[in-house]
Amino acid sequence: MRAFPIAIVAACYLVVPVVLGSNDYILSLVIAALTLAAIALSWALLGNLGGMVSFGHAAFFGVGAYTSALLAKDLGVPVFLAMLAGGAGAALASVVTMPALRLRGPYFALAILAYAQIFRILANQMTGVTGGAGGILSIPPLPTVFGFDFSSKLGAYLVILTLLVLGILAYKAIRDSYWGLALKAMHDSEDATRVIGVPSTRLKAAMLVVSAFMAGVAGAFNAHVIGFLEPDYAFAGTWSVIPVVAAIFGGYRTLSGPILGALVIYLLDQLLFKTLMPQGHQIMFGVLLGAMILFSPSGLLPLLTKPFARFKPAKRTPTPEKRHAAAA
Amino acid sequence: MPLRLENISVRFGGIAALTGVNLEVADDSVVGLVGPNGAGKTTLFNVISGLVRPTEGSARFGDTDLVKGKIHNRARAGIGRTFQIPQPLHELTVRENLMVAQRFGAGRIDPSRIDEILDFLNLTHKADAQAATDLALSEQKALEVGKALATEPKLLMLDEVLAGLETSGKRAFMTMLARLHREWNLAMIVIEHDIETISRLCQRCVVLNFGKVIADGTPDAVFRDPEVRRSYTGTGAAEHA
Ligand SMILES: Nc1ncnc2c1ncn2[C@@H]1O[C@H](COP(=O)(O)OP(=O)(O)OP(=O)(O)O)[C@@H](O)[C@H]1O
Ligand SMILES: [Mg+2]
Repeated sequence: MRAFPIAIVAACYLVVPVVLGSNDYILSLVIAALTLAAIALSWALLGNLGGMVSFGHAAFFGVGAYTSALLAKDLGVPVFLAMLAGGAGAALASVVTMPALRLRGPYFALAILAYAQIFRILANQMTGVTGGAGGILSIPPLPTVFGFDFSSKLGAYLVILTLLVLGILAYKAIRDSYWGLALKAMHDSEDATRVIGVPSTRLKAAMLVVSAFMAGVAGAFNAHVIGFLEPDYAFAGTWSVIPVVAAIFGGYRTLSGPILGALVIYLLDQLLFKTLMPQGHQIMFGVLLGAMILFSPSGLLPLLTKPFARFKPAKRTPTPEKRHAAAA
Repeated sequence: MPLRLENISVRFGGIAALTGVNLEVADDSVVGLVGPNGAGKTTLFNVISGLVRPTEGSARFGDTDLVKGKIHNRARAGIGRTFQIPQPLHELTVRENLMVAQRFGAGRIDPSRIDEILDFLNLTHKADAQAATDLALSEQKALEVGKALATEPKLLMLDEVLAGLETSGKRAFMTMLARLHREWNLAMIVIEHDIETISRLCQRCVVLNFGKVIADGTPDAVFRDPEVRRSYTGTGAAEHA
């Protein structure tokens, strides 16, 4: 990692709590924004690295949320452990969707959208487990550990920030590994990649699992923060659409794009559009996205960095040792 | 670890691309594969590398079943190939192309071996160039060979690697291919339209026409065969005679 990202992360951990620590309203906005950023990042693991655009990440978000909520509430599993299990549940759910991996491009995107609907219907129908349309109330909140109350706004902020940072590190590790290289090559040269020995379907499946795990943990986190769940919320189309919009808005196939996109879109929406037009403010997403595609097709980042283009760092090639470690 | 194809047929809809092809290639031999356009040469490579499933017949490479097996397992089994139209791995540098091929195809990581391959193919100065956009045709062809070599093949299949090169480039490439066989100790199947190339490089030549093997023997004998010359009317065979 270079100095600049480290400085940003340090500021998020040290400066933000000091400055915003007592402003619960702003903090809860930031928490929601970071949750969306985490979903966007999980989507990018599959979309950017795996080359598969998903319109159905709500499936994994929702399964993670339900798994974790039910484990914590009905079986008394400690919340942080339940969140991990939520990720694992979503990863397991992704195995069910794997037949869709054979499909390419828009067909994959649509198939996974269908899966999200199926999971939503299941959550509605399996009343014995999920409580059906009535949902689950009083889901255990984030715990107090070593005297620190993670269920406070500041605590939740630190948890989601940490999840996001771990996600970013995982993304970078995969991207810079041999797997990352092979996945990148598969975008445009799948036959050529397979012929030299790359198990392309297996790699894509692995990316799907990793991506679903991360979306599931984000869903689990969200469930414990807001304390209730119902199928139409947990599997809402929003969780599928936001990451796609964020990725396009922030810059497709970059790491910072989806994260930045999610943060900017959500905060703009909540702080600006919602005030300007309390009804139907979501329409501004569409307008914004259209404008973005017209004026800066490669996303938000070039707009921000263009004035500093001279300082753009040279493209790095990771050392073989580093790849070795990541591939092992 | 010989290659053995028995009665291989491939149909694409109404087109019989291959019909009842039998072919054996011994461990260290260099076999030329010739025939007019559309004869089925590339399709035969595609069957061996798994991109096309034969409609009929059996194919083995040592213990590896080439009809049922997964595409990516063939590289580990020792089968390497080039594509007639070069297919560099997009978005990767030349070196990264070879790194991926070595890691997944040979199952090991050995940077010095990659340096050797780059050096052998005269690609060292292009190691960090973008493979899909920054290479001249001759370099793209060299990279095709490089990707295959990085998987450490026992059988190397070359699909018209000389086609489209100018005379001097062709000569350099020829020398390289001859060295490959001698120094790297591998069997080769070489598709080439140029009969002189085949005659110089191969001890044996197989001729395909309309998906059938119509001749199999030493290049000299094969190119004297009247049926072969008929199939090649007006092309190299006549000139060679
Ligand atoms: N994927 C495919 N789908 C349909 N037809 C195909 C396919 N691949 C090859 N063919 C057809 O099969 C026949 C054999 O093609 P092939 O590419 O094997 O010939 P070739 O001997 O390599 O010719 P060339 O010298 O032009 O490269 C041709 O008629 C071709 O059009
Ligand atoms: Mg061909």
